[in-house]
Amino acid sequence: MELEENSPKQNYTEAEKQTIFHGEFMPHINSMYNFAYRLTLDADDAKDLLQDTYLKAYRFIESFQKGTNAKAWLFRILKNSFINDYRKKSKEPSKVDYQEVESYYNSEEVDRQITPDLRVEALKDMIGDEISNALNALDVDFRTVIILCDLEGFKYEEMAKILDIPIGTVRSRLHRARNLLKEKLSEYAKQMGYKTA
Amino acid sequence: MSNPDPSKMKQDCPEKNECLKMLQVILDGEATPEQKEHFLKNHLEECMPCYKNYHLEVAIRQLLKTKCCQDAPQELVDDIKTKVINNLAS
Ligand SMILES: [Zn+2]
Ligand SMILES: [Zn+2]
Repeated sequence: MELEENSPKQNYTEAEKQTIFHGEFMPHINSMYNFAYRLTLDADDAKDLLQDTYLKAYRFIESFQKGTNAKAWLFRILKNSFINDYRKKSKEPSKVDYQEVESYYNSEEVDRQITPDLRVEALKDMIGDEISNALNALDVDFRTVIILCDLEGFKYEEMAKILDIPIGTVRSRLHRARNLLKEKLSEYAKQMGYKTA
Repeated sequence: MSNPDPSKMKQDCPEKNECLKMLQVILDGEATPEQKEHFLKNHLEECMPCYKNYHLEVAIRQLLKTKCCQDAPQELVDDIKTKVINNLAS
């Protein structure tokens, strides 16, 4: 498993393990739940995924170095558990499909097409689930970068580590993801009767 | 940011897409001080499409933060704690 590779194994007493678990891992549980829920889009799966992740984190606690970024460490475990245990089962596109999707969205061609004209006024009226639905409708890899960056405030470098991709890919994927999100939002805006210029 | 006079602003941006990318890097807190300075002071207030994009980007981020975060059910939190404590005991 990926947890051992980076840092040398620490030697913690049982008391230290408890302190780390409760003091450094548990404070991120709401963010972690939200991430699990947004990845699986199912409350039961989110529960299982969260529980698996925290138990795994506890089991591999000696791969965690005190004072380093616990939140990023936990997010990485959760993301890997999702890929290994859940993504296969779900209807998400396979890796191959995804690469096609990404290269499609990476072409400058598409970049020029997707400049949805969405207005701030329309957003102000989206007081229901519009934004949440728009986010959930994105392909999981695009959804993920928006969650990590815009909801959780991770830096590009941290995202690169969590996702095991280069920083340049983080930046471009994020840009595509935001364009796609705006595209969804402008569909809602149209339905709400806003004219897009 | 001050309120620029729309009549004096460019209505077209030749580099709209590149500007949008820069804008996002700035809002993500990943731009250098020089990039920020150039863009926010020298470009944004003169360029209508980029000025609009700025407000749109900010509004979407706010909306995401207020509408897309949900807490873990307390039952689940307690459950996880209990499982780990049992794990400790065994
Ligand atoms: Zn411009
Ligand atoms: Zn510019």
